[in-house]
Amino acid sequence: MSQGDGAGSLLHVSIPVQKHAGDRSDPYPHPLDTEAKMETIPSTGRSVRVLAASVLVAVVAAGCGEGTPGERSLRGMPAFCQEVLPRVDAFLSTFERPEGERYGGTVVVGAIGEIADGMNALVSSDYTASQHQTFMHLMTLLQVDEALEPTPYLARTWEVADDLSHVTFELRDDVFWHDGEPTTAHDVAFTYLRATDPETAFPNQAFWDHYVKGPEGIEVLDDHTIRIHIARPHAEVLDPWRATGIMPRHLLEDVPPAQLRQHPFGTRCPVGNGPFAFHQHRSDESWTFVRNPAFPEALGGPPYLERYVYRIIPEQTTLLTELLTEAIDVYIAPPADQAPQIEAAAQAELIAFEFRNYVFVGWNHRRPQLADARVRRAITMATNRRQVVDALLRGYGDIANAGVPPFHWAFHEGIRDELAFDSDEARRLLDEAGWREPSPGAVRVNDAGERLEIAIKYNTGNQQRQDIAEIMQAQLREVGIAVRPQVVEWATLLNQINTPDVRDFDGVVIGWVTEMKVDDHDLFHSSKVDQPYGWTGMQDERVDALLDTLQLVVDRDEAVPLWREYQELLVELQPYTYLFFPERLAGVGRRMRGVEMDVRGEWVHVTRWWIPEDMRRGRGR
Amino acid sequence: MSAYVIRRLLGAIPLVLGIATIVFFVLNLAPGDPVSIYAAPNISPDVLEQMRRNMGLDRPVHERYVRWMGAMLTGDFGVSFSRNQPVREVIAQILPNTLVLSLCAMTLAFLAGILIGVFQAIRQNSAADNALSVVALFFYSMPSFWLALMLILIFSLYARNIWEWPFWFPASGMTSVDHAFMTPGERVRDRLVHLALPSISLALVLAAGIARYTRGSMLEVVRQDYIRTARAKGLPEWRVVLKHALRNALIPVVTLLGLYLPFLFSGTVFIETVFAWPGMGKLVVEAIFQRDYPVVMAGAFIFAVMVVIGNLVADLLYSVIDPRIRYD
Repeated sequence: MSQGDGAGSLLHVSIPVQKHAGDRSDPYPHPLDTEAKMETIPSTGRSVRVLAASVLVAVVAAGCGEGTPGERSLRGMPAFCQEVLPRVDAFLSTFERPEGERYGGTVVVGAIGEIADGMNALVSSDYTASQHQTFMHLMTLLQVDEALEPTPYLARTWEVADDLSHVTFELRDDVFWHDGEPTTAHDVAFTYLRATDPETAFPNQAFWDHYVKGPEGIEVLDDHTIRIHIARPHAEVLDPWRATGIMPRHLLEDVPPAQLRQHPFGTRCPVGNGPFAFHQHRSDESWTFVRNPAFPEALGGPPYLERYVYRIIPEQTTLLTELLTEAIDVYIAPPADQAPQIEAAAQAELIAFEFRNYVFVGWNHRRPQLADARVRRAITMATNRRQVVDALLRGYGDIANAGVPPFHWAFHEGIRDELAFDSDEARRLLDEAGWREPSPGAVRVNDAGERLEIAIKYNTGNQQRQDIAEIMQAQLREVGIAVRPQVVEWATLLNQINTPDVRDFDGVVIGWVTEMKVDDHDLFHSSKVDQPYGWTGMQDERVDALLDTLQLVVDRDEAVPLWREYQELLVELQPYTYLFFPERLAGVGRRMRGVEMDVRGEWVHVTRWWIPEDMRRGRGR
Repeated sequence: MSAYVIRRLLGAIPLVLGIATIVFFVLNLAPGDPVSIYAAPNISPDVLEQMRRNMGLDRPVHERYVRWMGAMLTGDFGVSFSRNQPVREVIAQILPNTLVLSLCAMTLAFLAGILIGVFQAIRQNSAADNALSVVALFFYSMPSFWLALMLILIFSLYARNIWEWPFWFPASGMTSVDHAFMTPGERVRDRLVHLALPSISLALVLAAGIARYTRGSMLEVVRQDYIRTARAKGLPEWRVVLKHALRNALIPVVTLLGLYLPFLFSGTVFIETVFAWPGMGKLVVEAIFQRDYPVVMAGAFIFAVMVVIGNLVADLLYSVIDPRIRYD
């Protein structure tokens, strides 16, 4: 999982305005100049010409200093890149261009942010980065199909031992790194060793919590066969091999693990083995990838697109304009309020697909007014979540009642309509919990005379979360709960909610992105109460027992009833007020073909995107 | 003169180091944590702790300060936490973008601002003067990001999709994606069309202010006796205005130039955001949000140096314009 702050546009930032100094003109203008004297001093007109010329020179210099067409400059690159990139170019140029009407063209993808941490799978956990790593630049051992069942990728076959003590992968022997070296089991071993080495500080180290970490955990049986030992059985034991790109041993073996993060491999000159090879990265501006013509036919062969450009455009209005003026072909994750404009445009169409994140209000059960599950249920029922979805998401989303998303096999259809908007029932629950209205319409109090007041925090610059807090303020007031929305800067907010001995919040509007496997251990297990994400402080034996068991049940048919029980329990306990699963949107330009997206992400089918020949950009094929 | 410059520069060293020190401590003592962008469930606190160690954040603040100061004095700004890249490399990539944009914008702004200001002053209280005053105030009080969005709407979106002009401006970016495949001539054109909207939206706001200053200071100057003398001795009017009046009226404008000089390097986060122009403003603001200390420190250091240099340049320009100002 990862936290999204969804900070959106930076337009909410306030910047001090440049101030003009007071007028400092000389009170005693100097006397009349003689013509001769004038000539010795550069005239204003001339200095203006000089200035204008220097701008032109700067522009021209910037325009010309880029080497021959289509090539990148190695100037100023770290030594590692100067050595590696020419090898990549040399290897890729030994292959023929694939023949066929679909092959060719440049796609431009526009998105709001950088690909944080770049193509180094060992240090990154960012969603966009991992999409580019796993579907474009690197290869994972496995992929998953639409039903989230594992399918072969770099691993041709795999076998999990009956007693779940180890898993053996047999790798393809026709995969090459973009510099021409073959990809082997030693690369997998290298990736595993580095990923499980604490020094590396691989963010997703917990992927391998159920494996035997370090050198003892791995056996290279031959160049293309590798066995990894499992320490404790886990239901989704193969999932890490879908999520983590394999990294090249021959390039990175000598880098100390603690320095992998800052190695130029990540952002300056990554070398992968996936269907797209790295071409260029300009900070905050763009990433360019080119087709890998050596990509194995058995895996679908080289991608149709010749070139792929990822452009960073930090403002959503600009992104929309660029989509409508066809300067970008795919607009990643437009906000719901732009959906009608994209739908109406002749230049683009809108794709909506289910996704893995949900938005909720996390409650701090340590607070006396929130300790009672009846109060939390009442809050959820007093919030008109349908209205929230319709208003904030324009209907592109689903009401949530637990953290298992509707596309997931473990989703419990039966709880879909639970806790529907019902203020009478909410009032009844609050009465029952001992919070009574002293007079109609007043804020409820309990027997000790405490008022039912809650502060709901959200982060700066996130309009959606602000709207949610304000809607809840209005709707909860109807049932006698006083809500105070409170905005806090993101890093400060994280500090307030994540620090176990601080927990300075009543409620917080926030979101989680789940992995393909759902595991709420860190959120709700009582052993994690004093860990950063034990926000709620909930300690419930039934929850603990289910979370412990669910980890171990490999058979989905066996697991489904337990998952149902767990979701029903969450409805009852409402540790969070689950709000909604937003659908993810994408704007797709009219020249694009084959753009399909699903819960696995925007880039899942990127090798099959294509552009009809007569609609391609003029240059660069 | 050179002795003066050296004296000023030496005097600036403790100032800049003082600024850097204050920024360092304010930043490091503020709440927030650079590794919190990685914080998530199933990411164990040990991993975050190790990240902090790898970034050198486990050391006490004073020790980090000494180390940072030592490295900075040798020109090493450290490695960016959020970009995993040496700060020097990042700035080497970003700073030229900002320079090109702000140099263009400032050139446009001063050219247009001075011309309009002079025109208004010599036609004082005419209909044109009043109209230009209104226009100047209109742009001066307009938030630049809004102006930028309007320009994009008109010259990019509407121009292309609704009015179907033969030519429209790109809404964002520094070059088009085909840039690498263009001939040198096309590349220059490509750069210029991408520069147009961002530099105009920056320049309009600046020019409005400059025009007001120029007009005010020109009005003061044209009433002076020596202007009457110049006219009396039969000099052509343009000569009186441009050579005798304008030169004396430029002193406050030069002050402005000194004030705007740091802006050449700092960029403006709004314009950069709206036009997807990878510049210093956005770099530093994002770094602040992500608690990317090395980048923020490098940014603060550069801006501090530029403020000092901007003031120095302005002071030196006074002596160029006004021979009675001497620095010995």
